[in-house]
Amino acid sequence: MLKGVRKLIPRVHKLDPGCLLRMSTQAPRSITTHSDDQLPVQRPRAICRTPESDPVKTFGEACLMVRKPALELLQYLKNTNFTHPAVRYLLYGEKGTGKTLSLCHVIHFCAKHNWLTLHVPDAHLWVKNCRELLRSTYNKQRLDQPLEASTWLRRFKTTNEHFLSQIKVEEKYIWNKRESTEKGSPLGEVVEQGLMRVRNATDAVGIVLKELKRQSCLGRLQLLVAVDGVNALWGRTTLQREDKSPVAPEELALVHNLRKMVDNDWHGGAIVLTLSQTGSLFKPQTAYLPHELLGKEGFDALDPFVPILVSNYNPKEFESSFQYYLENNWLQHEKAPTEEGKKELLFLSNSNPGQLERLCAYL
Amino acid sequence: MAARTVWAAGRCSEQAGAVNRAVRRLPGLTQVRWSRYGPEFRDPLTDKGHCRKPAAELTEEEKYDQDLGKTQLIKAAPAAQTCSAFADPVISKSTNMMMKGGSKVLARSLMAQTLEAVERKQFEKYHAASAEEQATIERNPYTIFHQALKNCEPVIGLVPILKGGHFYQVPVPLSDRRRRFLAMKWMIKDCRENKPRRTLMPEKLSYELLEAFANKGPVIKRKHDMHKMAEANRALAHYRWW
Repeated sequence: MLKGVRKLIPRVHKLDPGCLLRMSTQAPRSITTHSDDQLPVQRPRAICRTPESDPVKTFGEACLMVRKPALELLQYLKNTNFTHPAVRYLLYGEKGTGKTLSLCHVIHFCAKHNWLTLHVPDAHLWVKNCRELLRSTYNKQRLDQPLEASTWLRRFKTTNEHFLSQIKVEEKYIWNKRESTEKGSPLGEVVEQGLMRVRNATDAVGIVLKELKRQSCLGRLQLLVAVDGVNALWGRTTLQREDKSPVAPEELALVHNLRKMVDNDWHGGAIVLTLSQTGSLFKPQTAYLPHELLGKEGFDALDPFVPILVSNYNPKEFESSFQYYLENNWLQHEKAPTEEGKKELLFLSNSNPGQLERLCAYL
Repeated sequence: MAARTVWAAGRCSEQAGAVNRAVRRLPGLTQVRWSRYGPEFRDPLTDKGHCRKPAAELTEEEKYDQDLGKTQLIKAAPAAQTCSAFADPVISKSTNMMMKGGSKVLARSLMAQTLEAVERKQFEKYHAASAEEQATIERNPYTIFHQALKNCEPVIGLVPILKGGHFYQVPVPLSDRRRRFLAMKWMIKDCRENKPRRTLMPEKLSYELLEAFANKGPVIKRKHDMHKMAEANRALAHYRWW
């Protein structure tokens, strides 16, 4: 569930800290779709929310709280110099403080300003629990993940529909003996090919990333690369080959291509990343700093980056979150609106947004 | 350890006192479940307001009480006793009944998920309903829980009584405690046994609670079956001697 904001200041649409950023209620079910048009039937789930805890079902709307880290990021993004190499911004913080939602806010902003958003909702899903691992046709050493690649392509298609016809591919790609994509055809064709032939989905993803990088360097579009749980790209996987030997992340084609994307050797956009301990593999629960979660390899690969700390609620934010729940009648317990109840919630959650949400769910 | 762990702290001493009095009156009785605390121990207080009153506001009795408390010994508070504003004795009791193998953490999380599921379902219904229906839809999971259990409580129960070498099911009035226990037990048992494979407890329990709130469902049916059996066996009612 997303947190809304206080009504002490009248609802102004300027982005002051503490004001309400409300998405259109009827159409977009996901925060990544920015248009107010009719929603595509398949709704991409931008964040790791289960279908049961969908805020649109319970409140009829999806709200975000405007907080300082997101505002800081938006300030930086507004002042991006598109001729300089892409700057990497890393959102880090303890568990449940709101890194993913800050990322979603940034994506929404960029989408509204007509950037092309490349959003990977959870990179951890690519390094664990993969049912099919195929040997890549492009490079014999690497492994393909058709299912994950096709889900990502579907999401990419729904979020960036209008860009797909505008961007033209710069090279000829031969898929197999009968199918090939000519130079100058729209990027949508590559995506379609990946969705139709699931075996080639990973290669399609690789081509999409390569083309977008090239196009943004040429200045034809502004690209935002947003990856949640970027610490999955450097670390260990729980995947095994048929002979039970472990798979390193660089042997996965998807991870390899995404690492190239997150490099700062291109210009014309920005890269916003989030660290995540939830869902990470072989990392202790208390780890939240970049060095701990990324490891030496990841830190060196991402260096230099702009770190942005996302912390727990301050008293004003807590108050506003509490008021939002009260106004939407989410807190149904009789004692919840009282001072006593509020103090208890503050104490139990320690102003942690995630914990507060979980507590308010059953009160 | 404690004689009987009951919901409110006050009842503990009452129970222990009643049992002690019975032991003293009837010489044949020996106490089997007994507390390690002697009679000089006082029960712990969980009322926050009581301790925070400034000295000027206290009455004579309360001042005496506080002074006594400084020298007297106090029993340790049981782990489940809270001064939380959100503590509910009915919910705590059901959580304990759902608990298996002593894992209170799991039982509590299941109960929290159940309440959340009930709330979400009701919210969905609320948003889908028209304005007149919205006034009738109850969204508070706690009221739904209490009302559902109240609807499941049987009015009369059956007890097996041995007479002439045979056991007869005799209709008998049930105490309040027994009725509440039976309602909760039936609810939890139904959710554990009669559900399709791989449905989680919160899902099934929230569904059953909503059905019981509307006076439908298998638990209500079981209550009615109990009533019918009692009605059928009413000729045996004189076998009861208490």
